Amino acid sequence: MSTTQTPTRRALLQAAAGAGAGLGLQPLLGSLANAQPASGKTLTVAIPGVPVTLDPINLTNHDWMAASQTIYENLIEFDVNGEMRPQLAAAMPTVSPDKTTYTFDLRDNVYFHNGKKFSAEDVKYSYEYLLDPANKAVRRPVFARIEKVSVINPLRVEFKLSEPYGPWLAFQTKCMGIFPAGSREANSPDVFRNAPAGLGTGPGIFEEWKPNEYISFRRNPNYWRKGLPSWERLVIRQINEESVRVAYLLSGQVDLISAPPPRDFERLKKMANLSGGSRATLGGWFAINTNNSKPPFDDVNFRKAISHAIDRDVIANKVYYGLLSPAAMPAPKGAWWYNESHDRAASFDLAKAQDLLARSKYPKGASFDLAIPAEPYLLDVKDAALVIQSQLSKIGVKVNLKVSEFQVFFAAAVKGEQQAGMFVNMSPGEPTYHLQNSLTPNQLLTKTVNYDGPEMLALLKQGFAEDDREKAKQIYSNLQAVLVRDMPMVWVGFVHAANLWRKATVKEFTVNQGVTFSCRDVA
Amino acid sequence: MLRMLLNRLAFSILALLFVGLLLFVLTRGVPGSPARVALGLEATDTQIAQFEKDHGLDRPVVEQYIRWLGQLVLHGDFGRSFVTGRSMNALLTETLPITLELVLFAFAFAVAVALPIGVLSAVYEGTWIDHAARIFAVIGVSVPGFWLGLMLIRFPAVEFGWFPPGGFVPLSDGLVAHLQSIALPAFALGVYYIAILSRMTRSGLVETLGSEYVRTARALGLPRGRVLWYALKNALVPVVSVGAMSFGYMFGWALIVEYLFNIPGMSNALLTAVGQRDYFTMQAVVYVFTIIFIVSNLAADLLNRQLNPKLASAQP
Repeated sequence: MSTTQTPTRRALLQAAAGAGAGLGLQPLLGSLANAQPASGKTLTVAIPGVPVTLDPINLTNHDWMAASQTIYENLIEFDVNGEMRPQLAAAMPTVSPDKTTYTFDLRDNVYFHNGKKFSAEDVKYSYEYLLDPANKAVRRPVFARIEKVSVINPLRVEFKLSEPYGPWLAFQTKCMGIFPAGSREANSPDVFRNAPAGLGTGPGIFEEWKPNEYISFRRNPNYWRKGLPSWERLVIRQINEESVRVAYLLSGQVDLISAPPPRDFERLKKMANLSGGSRATLGGWFAINTNNSKPPFDDVNFRKAISHAIDRDVIANKVYYGLLSPAAMPAPKGAWWYNESHDRAASFDLAKAQDLLARSKYPKGASFDLAIPAEPYLLDVKDAALVIQSQLSKIGVKVNLKVSEFQVFFAAAVKGEQQAGMFVNMSPGEPTYHLQNSLTPNQLLTKTVNYDGPEMLALLKQGFAEDDREKAKQIYSNLQAVLVRDMPMVWVGFVHAANLWRKATVKEFTVNQGVTFSCRDVA
Repeated sequence: MLRMLLNRLAFSILALLFVGLLLFVLTRGVPGSPARVALGLEATDTQIAQFEKDHGLDRPVVEQYIRWLGQLVLHGDFGRSFVTGRSMNALLTETLPITLELVLFAFAFAVAVALPIGVLSAVYEGTWIDHAARIFAVIGVSVPGFWLGLMLIRFPAVEFGWFPPGGFVPLSDGLVAHLQSIALPAFALGVYYIAILSRMTRSGLVETLGSEYVRTARALGLPRGRVLWYALKNALVPVVSVGAMSFGYMFGWALIVEYLFNIPGMSNALLTAVGQRDYFTMQAVVYVFTIIFIVSNLAADLLNRQLNPKLASAQP
């Protein structure tokens, strides 16, 4: 059934009347849900979350990027280990000495699902569409520093930025997708949102979207990566309840799931017919945004005391059973920007916490409201909140937990109404995205922290312009030193990507550090 | 009869108008904007304001309501979701049959089990049959539906493999597979109402079996079965009324069952819509539920008139 079809009132009434008999309409509404191709494998995966769009320039649900990234590709991608590598580009870009011009050479063997050959013109078109304010692309602000995109030749494209801003390369992997030139004019917005058949270069061609059920794809026979994908049909099922995802896996209804229940993960992956894996992501940060403009977080020693009073290992191991990597700084242990000494400088130390509290404006302790969202996203933070409440009570700090539905939580957060808010957020695997969002002026989460950090801003700007990794490491180390000194917020850890799969049907799979697992690579 | 139907129609229209307005006010009073869902967490205040302007969400609630109502009455159009862009009519066409089938199965199952239990319990009042039925009823109303659903998934589905753990298989894919996919959810939904209806049946039947006209019928030598049938007909009047209300309530309970068993029905769509602040979906689904509630109560009244002709003459 077309997803843009609007039945008449007559059809609606007939449907209701027919449904009163209970069964009459089912043949008419029969779907491809259980149809199997004549040959070849169908890979079925189950992920949580509710997709609202497949349009890559408007997609923000991290889990459902697994769907859009099956259809669309970018110039660059992250490999499973979190290293950037070329995708539609033939090689990593050459960058001008002033770090504002990026030139990409493109692959010559790529075709869109509609048969059109991919070229620089499509890249230019896609980015210009994204950047045009009239198109109201949700992801436009992320790429706002791109001033111009030029076609040098059919296989070479150039980006000119308004200022040095290296992170934009990483943001492509999550916040963008290349579509054919002219496709936006040739198709309605609903096509990009709900039924993007023929519009990408990726391993899967969109087939069908059944709301609250699944999205299906068929194999792209002309995919430029020869031999991939190994499946003939891909079905991504939407299953929000974690125990039901496991039930589907155990009963063989799905082949692979994401976000398994942490408590059962070790047991399940040891079962004879299942396998599993997990690894810390580079961008899934779990932190407490402490509002520096509201007591008691208006005192730096109090904030430091909180950081030192939280035993992150207990949370990681007892609450999340190892599916969280503890981190007291915005850097996971596996990241190139991780600095062990800064991490240790902010880590659990009860004596230090008590000492800092004694030196703060609140030597006798204090209380604060910790807002948390009710619904899990990547991780359920409620249990961790209870543990933190207990840990902070040891230094005389009383935590009042305020649970609310995510929309309510987030609306209050962005307005700066919370004393402290704790939640999980996901970014591409690079060091600056969350820092920009929370700790720099006029960004989405600025008011959740209200941090005034000119030194940090200056270091960030240096980092944007630095593409030598060793030099960038030093810059981010200096930045973390500032964060240790100022402790504008409290980091708890980095979430793991975790997957379980059936051995009988999934022979090759590597857990992706980006959490959004790539369906292309499942064999 | 005609007068009764016209009265009910007028009342129903008033009820729908009231429900619609209440929905509008309540949904728009909840914190959080659908803009944030549609545009993403990183939407700026400017983007959100523009979105609300584009979709008329910055207009007064009454104006929005009148516009929506006009579209519904004049064009039969429930509108389009401004979160997903989908037509509400299409959504209802896809999801209503699924939820309706689930509820009908659950209701039929509940009635088919509850009536015999209630009758046996009444006929054998005070015996072990009556006590067993009472215990079953207490368990039935006490067991949390969510837990029951998880147990059904855990054992009959995963452990024994008799049923799928979730999902909905349409009839076009095979009758057996279709029935298997609906069996566990229908059971989970119907158990609570078996308890309610069986107790109602028992209470009503015990009372009528003790009444004078039944004793007279027995004394006159009428067969036991016929006496029981006469008594049951009179005892069923309150049961039918409660049954009709239960049928309506089942659509609400179906929300939990559909979520748990991953059934793409209307109740599941409502749950998603609440989280997304998808006002049009919420309004469309709740409106349909209200209509079903009204129709089922009307059907119950008509059936009761057949069961007890005194009601037909007593009511306008």
